[in-house]
Amino acid sequence: MSEPRGAAAASTLEPRHEFTVASGEWENLPDAVEDDLMVINMGPQHPSTHGVLRMVLTLDGETVLDNQPVIGYLHTGIEKNTEYRPWVQGVTYVTRMDYLSPLFNELAYCLAVEKLLGITEEVPERASALRVLLTELNRISSHLVWLATGGLELGAISAMIYGFRERETIIDLLEFVTGLRMNHAYIRPGGLSSDVPEGFEDRVRQVLREMPQRIDEFEDLLTENPIWVERNKGVGILSAADCLDLGVTGVMLRSAGIPHDLRKAQPYCGIEQYDFSVPVTETSDAYGRFLIRIREMRESLKIVEQALDALPGGPIMVDDPKIGWPSQLALGPDGIGNAKEYISKIMGQSMEALIHHFKLVTEGFSVPPGQVYTAVESPRGELGYHVTSNGTNKPYRVKVRDPSFLNIGSLPRLTQGLLVADVIAAVASTDPVMGGVDR
Amino acid sequence: MGLEQNLPSGILLTSTERLIGWARAGSLWPATFGLACCAIEMMCTGAAHYDMARFGMEVFRGSPRQSDLMIVAGRVSQKMAPVVRNLYDQMADPKWVISMGVCASSGGMFNNYAIVQGVDHVVPVDMYVPGCPPRPEMLMDGIVKLHEVIKQEQFVERPRKGESMEDFRRRTGWAVGDETDMPGWAATRTQAKGAGGESAEANTMGRLSETAAARGDA
Amino acid sequence: MSEAQAPEGKGGGTGAHADAPGGVGSGNPNQAAGEATKLIERGIEIGLAEPLRQLRDRLVGAFDELEVSAFRGELTLKAHPAQLIELVRFCRDDEDVACELLADLSGVHWPGGQKRESAQETTGWPAYEIGDEDGRIELDYILYSITHNHRFRVRVDLDDKEPRIASVSELYASALFMEREVYDFFGVEFEGHPDLRRILMPDEWEGHPHRKDYPLGGVEVQYKGTTIPPPDERSY
Repeated sequence: MSEPRGAAAASTLEPRHEFTVASGEWENLPDAVEDDLMVINMGPQHPSTHGVLRMVLTLDGETVLDNQPVIGYLHTGIEKNTEYRPWVQGVTYVTRMDYLSPLFNELAYCLAVEKLLGITEEVPERASALRVLLTELNRISSHLVWLATGGLELGAISAMIYGFRERETIIDLLEFVTGLRMNHAYIRPGGLSSDVPEGFEDRVRQVLREMPQRIDEFEDLLTENPIWVERNKGVGILSAADCLDLGVTGVMLRSAGIPHDLRKAQPYCGIEQYDFSVPVTETSDAYGRFLIRIREMRESLKIVEQALDALPGGPIMVDDPKIGWPSQLALGPDGIGNAKEYISKIMGQSMEALIHHFKLVTEGFSVPPGQVYTAVESPRGELGYHVTSNGTNKPYRVKVRDPSFLNIGSLPRLTQGLLVADVIAAVASTDPVMGGVDR
Repeated sequence: MGLEQNLPSGILLTSTERLIGWARAGSLWPATFGLACCAIEMMCTGAAHYDMARFGMEVFRGSPRQSDLMIVAGRVSQKMAPVVRNLYDQMADPKWVISMGVCASSGGMFNNYAIVQGVDHVVPVDMYVPGCPPRPEMLMDGIVKLHEVIKQEQFVERPRKGESMEDFRRRTGWAVGDETDMPGWAATRTQAKGAGGESAEANTMGRLSETAAARGDA
Repeated sequence: MSEAQAPEGKGGGTGAHADAPGGVGSGNPNQAAGEATKLIERGIEIGLAEPLRQLRDRLVGAFDELEVSAFRGELTLKAHPAQLIELVRFCRDDEDVACELLADLSGVHWPGGQKRESAQETTGWPAYEIGDEDGRIELDYILYSITHNHRFRVRVDLDDKEPRIASVSELYASALFMEREVYDFFGVEFEGHPDLRRILMPDEWEGHPHRKDYPLGGVEVQYKGTTIPPPDERSY
């Protein structure tokens, strides 16, 4: 019988065995009888794993010695589906990957397609400014869902109610603009699908007036709450070197002290003209990530305000009729959406416009062959799109570098030596969205 | 019903089934089974703005053994399908399933190798709520309609543990979603309807039978 | 690729109005197709910003069998599979290159065989551009340096019947998950990976879905009295 595990083992958090973090084959998991360790399965249906994540925990008592995440329970084959649809329809597929920040998915995809087309310069300024405005609003709503579900998992049920209430104000605004509460398919290659309606500015100003107090309420509720602090301070530590080794970017990297944000390092859509700062903490723990997300919400409000103040007029889609989706949409009697003036133009006046419309709707535009990689800073980290085209009207390969995929890969190192309850706090601080992990 | 109209108000006649049906529908506890985007809308439906607690449903039980209703919210992948069935089997009778969203109802926009084309290949579905994702109001509409069905239904067959959906349909004649009434499909409606299915469809709330009458069906 | 320059058009960069002759990407996408391929030659500087040019010179100086190409302001180095580990280690450890992050590892399957014409002009299927070549699986490693703020791609071609290559998981732990994904979807065997098994598909799944010879796998759909075949079997 192996040496008895007594108080000595239980009192420290040091693992007693060396387990490769990458984990071996399933057969090499420790035997429950001989090694006195327990292998517990957490998920995929679990109220506290963010979505369908399954973790196989090897426990010594309550301490986690190894954590093997099993993913793929939401694998949808989105990347393969985009190969069978024209470029513009890829937006509707891609938007459902990371479903809490759909506008970021769309933005990165459209930036990649525009880069392939070579029209990055020609995207109108109004389109770029609106893209920034709406994606920053999306960032706020994504962080609110994180706060809500993170709070719920740790027992702060009010955080859940408050978070979703705040999210409703932002989702209402996005519905006003795009027509949908989630999965908007609003950002299209070349610009936007339609211009913002009347009354947009007033509604955004109203959100800007209300949100700061609401975020203050969150801070009052959680930041100095001793229970919240106890559960999050010192939990889920991943040092900067580990983060970089594991490819982890975003809030987790910034909580480890590295001020890396793609909005500053590789700006997109003219975001460099807005004045905002990137919050960083040095503690690398879950509490630091919480503070960063709260501060990021405030910084995003600053960006939204500046973008709204400086919003230029003009078109919202590139001029090129071979690419620009005819964007004169209006709610007409048939419910389909083409404005009457536009219909009279293509049917009566301009044959060329009719031909372009027909070609764009049936076949779509063709993109020159090549391969690009574009990345944006999504609420979870670096969201990159590696798009390959072979010259036709459908993508050849769309590979998405999703930040949550690598954040889940960091779970073994992140949760080593933690208690089971801390595993939940650590995973929550990672902010995974399984749609992005599994695609 | 005739007797009730002749009595002074304040006196309610009931039968045991209706009492039980009313009790079941009044506090239907859902299991947390959010998979993808629809799960977020389900959470919104449970949150303060579109409150589900008014129907007695804010208690999302973590364990399927303590819940009555499984709202399959999101796309069911091939890897997840056995897990869905496992959870369904763990639920105690009486149990109902709402398939929320088009991905759960029919595979949605993902007609490919990775997604089960409709969760009714795996579990029997009582209410299909379309939408991508359905608005909270749409989900609540589906839930309210399900409440009406629950109040009316007598004992309904459910699949036994480990029984596949094909065997279950052969045994009971439970209709598949795409065989029921859809515009233009009246001619191809199958005759195979079991006892529970028939009565549930025939005497549901006035709105539903009204629609059937308007379509000119039986 | 420095995107700091790219969207704003400062220096080289992408975009319709690059000043170089035959500049990458004129406004008309159909015309750009032919010119872009002409530019993929060794050492052409068009479209690369200055820091990337210096980076390219440094890398080519250290490894002389690299093929360099540039497209839309992005630097791509094509390496031989045997060189990969050395090259990636150099990129990580050298001070001027200093790529701390392996941002992405992806695969693209270019099957061999005859070029297929699309059946109809209007909504044609992707026509394979390769003629009678052997099929290849192209692996792309996107390396990113935070200190120097540059990003470039290392490309490796593998035979598509028996693709195998050394694993970079000792150099970058992020490759653990990413190589499993490439194995799952393309069948590429990474030698030296401690735990190479399927990650997103079920464990018993047969086939590698993202290969071009794997069907999309949809079912036909009933709609108003008729059936519609799945997307990969339609004739329009």
